[in-house]
Amino acid sequence: MAVYKRGYQRYQGSMTGRLARLLVLPKYAWSNLLKKRLMVSLLIMAMFWPLGCIGFIYLSNHAELLLNFDSGIKKFLQIDSSFFLIFMKVQAVFSILISVFAAPSLVAPDLSNNALQLYFSRPFSRAEYVIARLIVLLGLLSLITWVPGILLFSIQSTLADWNWFIENWNLGLGVFIGFMLWILLISLVALAGSAYVRRRIMAEALILGILFVLPVGTKIFNTIFNVMWASLLNPVRVMDQICRWLLGATPESGPTVFQCWLAVLVMIALLLTVLRRKLRPVEVVT
Amino acid sequence: MFLENRVDLGKGRQLQTTPIIELQDLRVRLGRQEVLQGISCRLGVSGTGKAIGLLGPNGAGKSTLILTLLGFHKISAGGASILGLDCLSNSREIKARIGYMPENEAFIADMTAVRFLRIMGEISGLPKRVALEKAHEVLFHVGLGEARYRTLGTYSLGMKQMAKLAQSILHGPELLILDEPTNGLDPSARIRMLKLIREMKEKHNMNIILCSHLLRDVEEICEEVVILNEGRLVHQANLEEERRTNRRFIELEVYGNDSKLAEALKEQGAEGVSEGGGRWRVVFPPGMELDVLWQLVDRENLSISHLTHRRDSLEEIFLKAVGHLERTAQRNNAPEGKESTDGSL
Repeated sequence: MAVYKRGYQRYQGSMTGRLARLLVLPKYAWSNLLKKRLMVSLLIMAMFWPLGCIGFIYLSNHAELLLNFDSGIKKFLQIDSSFFLIFMKVQAVFSILISVFAAPSLVAPDLSNNALQLYFSRPFSRAEYVIARLIVLLGLLSLITWVPGILLFSIQSTLADWNWFIENWNLGLGVFIGFMLWILLISLVALAGSAYVRRRIMAEALILGILFVLPVGTKIFNTIFNVMWASLLNPVRVMDQICRWLLGATPESGPTVFQCWLAVLVMIALLLTVLRRKLRPVEVVT
Repeated sequence: MFLENRVDLGKGRQLQTTPIIELQDLRVRLGRQEVLQGISCRLGVSGTGKAIGLLGPNGAGKSTLILTLLGFHKISAGGASILGLDCLSNSREIKARIGYMPENEAFIADMTAVRFLRIMGEISGLPKRVALEKAHEVLFHVGLGEARYRTLGTYSLGMKQMAKLAQSILHGPELLILDEPTNGLDPSARIRMLKLIREMKEKHNMNIILCSHLLRDVEEICEEVVILNEGRLVHQANLEEERRTNRRFIELEVYGNDSKLAEALKEQGAEGVSEGGGRWRVVFPPGMELDVLWQLVDRENLSISHLTHRRDSLEEIFLKAVGHLERTAQRNNAPEGKESTDGSL
């Protein structure tokens, strides 16, 4: 029978499980985001560098093609921690751009339209809401960060001999852990920023400010006052130091790895606190 | 903690009934202010398709009570249960069984109504295909069938109210919590909204909690009413019972010698009190019809100039309840020794 003829019938069938409900918001958010040209363009652009890196790996593993080059260039074509570090830095920039564009469209409309009341009056908690929104960003950012990173590592492991894998397995692990931590951090920055200002444009500006302007600010502060600790307030700087450590590269001067880990954990705790305070179904004015 | 009511069916048989809402000295504090100040009551019986009206002046604590039941505000003391489930420990299960229509605008503006309802349905636990089907079905049911592919931001206020109702009934809840559902609606839209609510109750056996400041809405829909004032429960009434009682209460004005009317009424089992000047208040026993009164008046050679069924309307109940509290407050605030000696309010 046609729907319009049927009339309302109370549903009394079986209900889906918790996991299925958790994935509802990511599913619709991905479909929304992937309809936007800017998002698709950013994702495509973010693939160019990994493709270039694949070519680089191919060249470095085909010595016969490099016979005419001098030893300096051959050294440059080494696949080591520096190679993966540069790869991570470039992809990190794209991940910031994507999170700036995607995150405010996830949280800000829900807050400005009071939609949280509707979500939370269903069997769907605040924690699940945050996890669902993190899944959206995790899915998108994974496509341009650790997935191509692991792909590069796998290609290099395949093209090089077994010994290379044995000696450099920490690079693959470092790329995965480093990117996951980076995704978590910038996703939380983006979600907390959106929840804090509630307006999409302002949220985008705030996230860009935290991830691009803050690093410059901390650098100026360090230079003027001749200190190093301001770098700990810079999420990009602390993550760079942690990634260097994870990949076994030489750390830069400044805060120690331990201090950086501590700074990241404090940042995550603060951002979760902001989300906890701001993602409420009702505002209480006392 | 929350016990079920037992209705005696005779011969030792008892029917277990679970109240829709049970509050035990419920206290809620928002900031420094205690908004709900120890409310205790048992309301309705679950699964009976009855409606409970939540009334009170602005700031009485109606919305706070609803939001507390939904788990949006913390309970500072006491307890609350919905459909026999404790609000704190069974919040998830409760939310799976209720539908909530908030007072303020709550939707995603740039989303079509179908998509919005589909998402809400899936989050409520409907399978993907069912959620889509139900979204269409419910939108047609509330009269938004033709506009279902329009974005919600383009809807009029009346349409938005209907969309909010649609999302609350989508998953077939046992209990529907409606916060000011007729707010901002024109008369015809209001009638339509009330019709839909009544239908949910009568045809689909949903229990309803209707929070409104419009007494007429509550009177039309609800069987039970709770009146809050300044965070306290000041009156709880069974409107069905009140309506039945009202039907037997008559105000009468007669011409002629009415000295024997009281006795004549008593003979018929009715009770009459003269207020002087031919004015009477008469209470009929159950089952007694108005014809008896006409015959009596005729027998006593009296003529009736005025006859009304005395109707203790919800408005009167409400005003009495709120006024009662004001007088109580005045009495409590009065200096010692100046309290009224007859104990009257």
